[in-house]
Amino acid sequence: MAYNLGIPKLDDLIGDIRGGTNIMMIGPPMSGKEDLINIIAYRGLVDRDAAVIVSTREPGNNVLEWFERRNLNISMDRIGIVDCVTRTLGFAAPDTENIKMASSPVDLTGIGVKISQFFEHFWMEMQLRETRLCINSLSTILMYSNLQTVFRFLHVFTGRIKAANALGVYVIEEGMHDAQTIVTLKQLFDGMIEIREGDDGYQIRVVGLTPKPTPWFDYEVNGVDVVLRG
Amino acid sequence: MIETGIPKLDGYLHGGVPEGRSLVYYTYPGVAGDVFGMQTICHATSNGILGVYVASSTDPQMIRDQFSEFGWATEDYNGRFIVVDAFSGLIGADSQERYVVSDPEDVNSLTQCIKKVMEEMSEPGIIVFESLSTIMDLCGESETLDALEEWSQYAMLYDHALVYNFTAWPYSEETLLHVKENVCNSVISVGGITGDVIFGQYFGVLKVDWTDIARKSTLFKVLKPGGIRAYIPKILVTGPFDAGKSTFVHALSNRAISVDRLGTTIALDHGHVDRKGFAADIFGTPGQERFDPIVKLLSGEAMGIFLLLDSTNTTDFKRGKRMLEITESFGLPVVIVANKQDMSEALTPEEIRRELDMPANVQIMPAVAATGEGVFEAFETLVDMVMEVD
Ligand SMILES: Nc1nc2c(ncn2[C@@H]2O[C@H](COP(=O)(O)OP(=O)(O)OP(=O)(O)O)[C@@H](O)[C@H]2O)c(=O)[nH]1
Ligand SMILES: [Mg+2]
Repeated sequence: MAYNLGIPKLDDLIGDIRGGTNIMMIGPPMSGKEDLINIIAYRGLVDRDAAVIVSTREPGNNVLEWFERRNLNISMDRIGIVDCVTRTLGFAAPDTENIKMASSPVDLTGIGVKISQFFEHFWMEMQLRETRLCINSLSTILMYSNLQTVFRFLHVFTGRIKAANALGVYVIEEGMHDAQTIVTLKQLFDGMIEIREGDDGYQIRVVGLTPKPTPWFDYEVNGVDVVLRG
Repeated sequence: MIETGIPKLDGYLHGGVPEGRSLVYYTYPGVAGDVFGMQTICHATSNGILGVYVASSTDPQMIRDQFSEFGWATEDYNGRFIVVDAFSGLIGADSQERYVVSDPEDVNSLTQCIKKVMEEMSEPGIIVFESLSTIMDLCGESETLDALEEWSQYAMLYDHALVYNFTAWPYSEETLLHVKENVCNSVISVGGITGDVIFGQYFGVLKVDWTDIARKSTLFKVLKPGGIRAYIPKILVTGPFDAGKSTFVHALSNRAISVDRLGTTIALDHGHVDRKGFAADIFGTPGQERFDPIVKLLSGEAMGIFLLLDSTNTTDFKRGKRMLEITESFGLPVVIVANKQDMSEALTPEEIRRELDMPANVQIMPAVAATGEGVFEAFETLVDMVMEVD
């Protein structure tokens, strides 16, 4: 079992990512992390993997629309979204095929149950052996629960990613948390996708999946293509 | 006694939770243990018992919606369903509830509110906590454990039963042990069968101090609407050609499909049954000998077997017995269904027993699959047998 991010040059440099890997994606607000994580999920769908996206910032429908708007030739029955937003906005939305509703970002029990249900569904009923879990974002979850609580939650679910030979990607907003929080959480991950502001837009690199970090690249997102320069 | 409303569990607990006692649903993360508490309070309130639900991670209005998704109409319980709002304060929202915890991150604030509601309840009732683990996360492990003792004493004073949903995140060993052994009169473990993913879910009694412990576990499934069902993942329906297997599967099931050709099954029938708290997936085999390899393939991991016989067709009875061998079902619970009892030349179950030379303890039950007569009786008999096996 091996995974690619779907970011051309970076994928070449880091090679196949082995099943069971957990990656933190960290960068400043508004740097396009949302597009990047959706693109990583999208790449999974292209590779015939399943994708489970936990959305804490946007209603599940918006996430689905992100995929629909781009007119991608992918089968939507391999996307599962855990929506932690809609119900906190006061909408009594029922679950759908693609979207399961959690009560709120505080409801880690519920979020965990929904993630597991999607994993079981993709594994058992659809016989898919490669699944990506994208959590966007841990920062929102950290606003509602303390570090220790989130750490326990992640401890369980990074473990499940290992057991299922899946790929986990977890978004963190840079600048929203103290250094101690980041250091604590880092222990749970095998590597990081880092984003920073460069002279000419944003830059990206991958740390921890190869003996040395990759170089920084300027990048631009075009639909589902990430174009790297430099 | 206040029944939990969870299939099988009230049997294990000798009727439910006695007044003044406590129970915790101790749940493995990722398993749908939260529904246990929900089902317990709805079962109680719909039976006329006063129920209080302590909401810690869900907006109270959303809670009512969540309950109604399962088909539990809290607004019909005539004010017997009370919510303690320990959520709104967390996100700085206003609350419409009568009982509101001003600071959900302070266990004293919670204790105050819980004591108040216990005092004001007009009669002994049941208090269900949406998530003890969330309370622990917000208020601290040892603080919460101390508070639990206080709540228990108070509940005992007023004869209220306490029920907690608890997700066993990796807290300190000490905390987990304490929850499992000390803080409640009974502990129900709600677990997952894990491998690469969680394949199945089960519950069992870890501790109970008012009756003997039943060392059994029950697989379950959560249906929406419906709630917790004791669940049998595979029941096999086999038997000779034309005995009525496909008809039986369809008569029994809420929904079913068959892979047939020209009226005979060439691959399988599959149906899902949901009845009286029990759910099962039913698999019908083909009957013709040329499909015997498929029968063998289908029978792996079956937990119980129906052998369907056409009661008018004595020449095929031997073939029926032979099919039990093909399924390699030795030792599994079996119910023989004497089908087509509507036909005048049908043998009675006792006549069939003699023909087959079956001992008296083998269940042979009459049925008319074509009209559905007898099929549920047969189902309930087999489910009982499967659930009694450990
Ligand atoms: N009179 C009567 N006919 C029945 C009954 N149950 C089934 N049949 C009829 O028996 C025939 C065979 O029924 P099926 O359900 O297809 O039998 P089966 O065991 O699945 O057959 P195969 O898959 O070919 O082995 C059909 O014509 C049914 O209508 C019954 O209780 N009474
Ligand atoms: Mg058939």
